[in-house]
Amino acid sequence: MRIFDPHIHMTSRTTNDYEALYASGVRALVEPAFWLGQPRTNVGSFIDYFDSLLGWERFRAAQFGIRHHATIALNPKEANDPRCVPVLEELPRYLVKEGVVAVGEIGYDSMTPAEDEAFSRQLELAREYSLPVMVHTPHREKLAGTHRTLDVVRESGVAPGMVVVDHLNETNVELVKEAGAWMGFSIYPDTKMDEQRMVAILSRYGTERVLVNSAADWGRSDPLKTRRTGEAMLAAGFTADDVDQVLWRNPVEFYGQSGQLILDPIPGFDAAELPDAAAGFEGNSVLRGARV
Amino acid sequence: MTAAPPLPPMPFSLGYGTNGFTDHPLPIALELLAEQGYGAVALTLGHPHLDPFAEDLDAQLQALRETLRELGLRVVIETGTRFLLDPRHKHKPALVDEEAATRVSFLCRAVDIAAALDAECVSFFSGVLPDGASPETGWQRLIPRVAEIVEYARGRNVLVAVEPEPGMLVETVSDALRLRAELDEPDNLRVTVDIGHCVVVEPDGVRGALLQAGPLLANIQLDDMRPHAHEHLPFGEGTVDLTSALATLAELDYRGVAAVELPRHSYDGPGLAVRSMGALRSAWEEVHAMKERERWLEESTTAVAADPASLPRIFALAARRVGRKPLHPDTDPTGVLFGAVSDHARGELIGRLGGLLPPDQLAETLLGLYNRGDSSERRGVLRGLSALATASPALPGVVVGVGLRLTEEALRTNETSLVAAAVGPFAAAHLDQHSWRHAVLKLVFMGISLRAVTDLDERADTELARMASDYAAERTAAGRPIPDDVHLLLRSSSGYSTSS
Repeated sequence: MRIFDPHIHMTSRTTNDYEALYASGVRALVEPAFWLGQPRTNVGSFIDYFDSLLGWERFRAAQFGIRHHATIALNPKEANDPRCVPVLEELPRYLVKEGVVAVGEIGYDSMTPAEDEAFSRQLELAREYSLPVMVHTPHREKLAGTHRTLDVVRESGVAPGMVVVDHLNETNVELVKEAGAWMGFSIYPDTKMDEQRMVAILSRYGTERVLVNSAADWGRSDPLKTRRTGEAMLAAGFTADDVDQVLWRNPVEFYGQSGQLILDPIPGFDAAELPDAAAGFEGNSVLRGARV
Repeated sequence: MTAAPPLPPMPFSLGYGTNGFTDHPLPIALELLAEQGYGAVALTLGHPHLDPFAEDLDAQLQALRETLRELGLRVVIETGTRFLLDPRHKHKPALVDEEAATRVSFLCRAVDIAAALDAECVSFFSGVLPDGASPETGWQRLIPRVAEIVEYARGRNVLVAVEPEPGMLVETVSDALRLRAELDEPDNLRVTVDIGHCVVVEPDGVRGALLQAGPLLANIQLDDMRPHAHEHLPFGEGTVDLTSALATLAELDYRGVAAVELPRHSYDGPGLAVRSMGALRSAWEEVHAMKERERWLEESTTAVAADPASLPRIFALAARRVGRKPLHPDTDPTGVLFGAVSDHARGELIGRLGGLLPPDQLAETLLGLYNRGDSSERRGVLRGLSALATASPALPGVVVGVGLRLTEEALRTNETSLVAAAVGPFAAAHLDQHSWRHAVLKLVFMGISLRAVTDLDERADTELARMASDYAAERTAAGRPIPDDVHLLLRSSSGYSTSS
């Protein structure tokens, strides 16, 4: 089972996790920029964090045979702190860096005017830099937040196919599917979504435009939830090809829209373990640009 | 994003020598070659493929000409058959022997065959001087005989090409040019170059020899070879830089035949035809990638000269244009030691900036690119410092100051490729001895080969040996193996005194 975790915060995880991810079949992942638990108080704190995502964390992942990519943004929670907002000026230079595959996580936390402003400005950036967008839906007021999110995306002119709306559940999946955006599900031990419910959603809504992630971070979470979901799918009668679509081809197609995915195996790790890693998606080379 | 332009075709035709297919009948060998994408064949006259003295030679030539036409193969005539004229003595009689009438008349016959097949040229060599003959005697014999062949060929509108061979009187391209000069530069006397021979005998190597022959090149033989043995080897088994050879041919706009020459590998002819074509295609891709890197460098330099503010974006996007393969994939597959091609392209761009920007601005630019760069951009800046240091032994103080600051910053990281990029020529020239020793020991500690270090032997001292020895003791105490590079430090430093 080859796995691409489209949302996981590896800076918060240990090398044991990297080993376990590799052993479970994870060969690529995306680490979205988010908040650190402890609120930031200045722009420099973001800069060091972004640099760490593109530098040290990518290096660390490579040591374990995993291709690391990142999304860059001012997260919704900290968009409310005027000391942090000026980081928006720094974002453009990060959006052209290698391996930056989307603008994100953006969206709503408490649905404040400051969040509105940061959300729209960052959607504009995504359009300007032709990058996909990762949108986080709020933990509280999820349904209302999702409605508003989809409205803002619609108004921004960003194509829905360039947007993943994440942390969905039974109550808002249909909205997002109808809007034509990608549906992201974070499989958690207790909260958000679990693997059995996920399988039920896949049975009901199909495997297209679905991204399954562990969203593992510094909270109670499990980086192997992608694998567990794949196993639950197989147990429920989905085919290996269905699993491959959800856990590999879908994230490759979505983030491949950035032209910034690098998926060839890391030297020293066995290419044979990762079939078709460098292949295009359904005959199209979604992995544009120099892949060498 | 700029998509890479498609690979242009080679201006020359790739061929394969039939002397590497002596276990196949000629028509079958030709089919196999065409099947593998070869557009030419180097046809060696004589056993087993085409007997130049056969009674039905004309009929054979007519049929062969038809086959070559059908398969779309160009042809050059090779005359190096070992026992064609003397069953007991290889390559005898030679043009430098006392008697060589049969050799001259054979080569004239080869000219006739070339005319009948519409071949590109007839290639021949001078021969080994017989015992006791002086080189001057050799030249006296060779010159009139070649004159006769050249004259004969002129009458049939055929090119003849002399091939320098290790151990023969005409051994280098210089010798071939001398022969031509002695004959008053006949237009139809050209030169064959075997690129493998060049690593054995040519003072300026493959590229030098090809450039020297330049527009006189009429035939190319492709193979690998080691510098001390005249033995034709499959690509990758010797020291020939195939990429540089093909690049030079393209630069010369050589439009003739370049044929693989593996006369001792018929037992695996079909396999080698496939693998050789693979090696040639990858080398050609690499030629193209090199050109793309040069183009990027030119365009970027021009753009930055016009608008220095465009630099950060150009720098960030570099790998998308030039690729990110390791610079030396064979010896450094991860690119940690010697960097990726993108690191060096960025480094070269910085090297160019040295001539564009005043020192203060250059220093500020380096600082900005590093501080605002990701790891690959930072490697590019570090390689750029090395490019600057290599180009100028006396860098402005402000540039050295910033360079040291960045080098020290990189050396503090634990990212292997950054640390390795920080111990190149800039560090060798400017880093203080204490920091330099710590950098070297850090490499050992991180398991990075000391091959990454520039001027290791020159700067290693007894203090570094002491540090290495303590490190070895610590490893031993922990029951862990001592890395090989530690022994290198203990050994290499013994001849140097402590300095700081």
